Amino acid sequence: MRKGKKALALLMATTMTVGLAACGSKGDDENKPTPTPANQGNAGNQGDQGNQGDQGNQGDQGSDGTDPIDVTLTVWGPSEDQNAEQGNWLPTMCEKFNEAHPEWNITFKYGVCGEGDAGAMVSQDPTASADVYMFANDQIMTLINANAIARLGGDAVTEIKNTNSEAIVNSVSVDGAVYGVPFTTNTWFMYYDKSVFTEEDIKSLDTMVSKAKVAFPLTDSWYFASFYVANGCTLFEDGFNEAAGIDFTGDKAVAVTNYLIDLTANPNFVNDADGAGLAGLRDGSISAMFSGSWNYSSVKEALGANFGAAELPCITIDGQTKQMKSFAGSKAIGVNPNCANQQVAVALARYLGSPEAQQAHYTSRSVVPCNTDLLAQDSVKNDELVIAQNNTFDNTSIIQPFVSAMGSYWDAATNMANGIINGDVTHDNAAEMTDSMNAAMNNNGL
Amino acid sequence: MKKQTASYKAKKRTVNIFIHVLLAVLAIIWIFPIAWVVMISFRAEKGSYTSSFLPKSFTLDNYKKLFTDTTVLNFPKMFMNTLIIAIFVCIISTIFVLAVSYCMSRLRFKMRKKYLNIAMILGLFPGFMSMVAVYYILKAIGLSEGSMVRVALIMVYSAGSGIGFYIAKGFFDTIPKALDEAAFLDGATKFQVFTQVTIPLSKPIIVYTVLTSFLGPWLDFIFAKVICRANADYYTVAIGLWRMLEKEYIDNWYTCFAAGAVCISIPIAILFIYMQRYYVEGLTGAVKG
Repeated sequence: MRKGKKALALLMATTMTVGLAACGSKGDDENKPTPTPANQGNAGNQGDQGNQGDQGNQGDQGSDGTDPIDVTLTVWGPSEDQNAEQGNWLPTMCEKFNEAHPEWNITFKYGVCGEGDAGAMVSQDPTASADVYMFANDQIMTLINANAIARLGGDAVTEIKNTNSEAIVNSVSVDGAVYGVPFTTNTWFMYYDKSVFTEEDIKSLDTMVSKAKVAFPLTDSWYFASFYVANGCTLFEDGFNEAAGIDFTGDKAVAVTNYLIDLTANPNFVNDADGAGLAGLRDGSISAMFSGSWNYSSVKEALGANFGAAELPCITIDGQTKQMKSFAGSKAIGVNPNCANQQVAVALARYLGSPEAQQAHYTSRSVVPCNTDLLAQDSVKNDELVIAQNNTFDNTSIIQPFVSAMGSYWDAATNMANGIINGDVTHDNAAEMTDSMNAAMNNNGL
Repeated sequence: MKKQTASYKAKKRTVNIFIHVLLAVLAIIWIFPIAWVVMISFRAEKGSYTSSFLPKSFTLDNYKKLFTDTTVLNFPKMFMNTLIIAIFVCIISTIFVLAVSYCMSRLRFKMRKKYLNIAMILGLFPGFMSMVAVYYILKAIGLSEGSMVRVALIMVYSAGSGIGFYIAKGFFDTIPKALDEAAFLDGATKFQVFTQVTIPLSKPIIVYTVLTSFLGPWLDFIFAKVICRANADYYTVAIGLWRMLEKEYIDNWYTCFAAGAVCISIPIAILFIYMQRYYVEGLTGAVKG
């Protein structure tokens, strides 16, 4: 099946390339896509070439003012970014980019593809996908394996490294190569009711649970690991060493399992499934929940003046205070290596990730920027949402591993969480269950 | 004698009571999820979760929002897309199914037996198995972008329908051959026999075919997703409803999701109610002729 698919893709890609070559201008030649599902090195080369072309071309055209080159670019982004009532961010920015580059006459075509869907949708057929698209960084391996994302090089990488924190750059890098222009961080943090919890309370989850009801989506494996990571468990060492595997073993992990059994037994702990947390905040029965920026407006509406958002609290395990750590990632703009006009695509990706574009994104849709200069500005820096998300990213998170072996983590974590919630995991069998969870997480077979 | 009758009656009554209670319980179990979705679609409280099982207050706003708030998810457009696709699919696949069934039932040709077997075996494989191949073929003939996506979807839903001829063929087999022969004696061609004898006698099975082929595009998610990809203007309702439950939208759109689910049942219900009367008409017409 897979082989057949590839062979067919190859055939189609060849047909496509022939078609492109027939109608493309001579300048396209060096950036012409290779029809084979190229290896990473190849993809990288294309990116590099595109970029060098970029620099060269910009210089040339700036000086001699030749006729603008006609370019068609397909751009994919979430529907919220293409909607007039929410600022029409993507089309606005693309038009501005076109105006800023008189050497190109760009026609944009837009498609709807959320950052989280990019992995599946672009990889389905990279040769007929967007030239420039937005993706969540956990999709990066899928995209690389499908030869659907170009390695960036030259100026672009320097710029990304200069304007973003190291953690963010790492989140879009694989083996030292940068694959996307990051434009926001992506993580979860805590929303709480200021009339119930004080600044001091929110430093410890145990204090919070002793005072009022707290909802936590334990059975969602994106959130589940935070407790284990708090007590020194690791995923692929720093998240990038696939050979190291997931280490949820030994006393440190069992201690967390025991802690979770006690925590879930507390009547003030609510497992936040099917939106129970948000519903609880609305009717006042729950005073804190864990979620991300996508729920900001709903939570703000529910809590009003008592709205509070903060980085993750600590937990007390065996008498010691440990910091919970969420999975964090970023959302970035990627360039399709199959795009005929690499230099234009890379320049557009850089523009969409520029401080100007991030500022506009923040104004129109409260998308938290990640550009370090922008974050230093007062208007951005004092926003509660920005503070909570960035403090979480900087202080209480680890980069969500996107190595392929991470695939085994999700179901194993959900199963364990379900076991803890429904009482299958008890203090008596905690050690045994933790061991089998770890085995399942490291099992790469089916 | 009298006593016996009484005990027999009592026994019968007990059995009847038992059966009716059982049926009532089953009916509640069966109806309840549907009733619940309808209730949620009128729920005034926001969000995907409420602490009370039944809604506390009711409103029509969910329907209003569904059809007026087209900012993120353009439901009216998706609804129209699906309706257009469904109408075409319904016409094309009904013709296909009936034509194939007639051939299989009435004509005798060399490959007939083999064809019946091949069709049976092919029918055992799930349709979405060929999903990726279908996508690449559609792309190769230029149907995967822009407004051609609708044509592509119509083709996908109707092209293979001929293979589902078994039920209609079984029905045609029950129509007496003598009727066909009488028509042939009067000088009718095979096509005339098909249109003027077989079709008028097959209303129940035509209704069945029309309904199932009309339903396809409303219910299918996987082909629509693979073929539409980023062409949001051509999404069908299934994709729209699925998107409403994504984490970014679920809190705002959950009740609208229920409203949308109720709405897609409307065209199907209308078609069914209209065609239902033909269900009871069977071979009654044959006697007259």
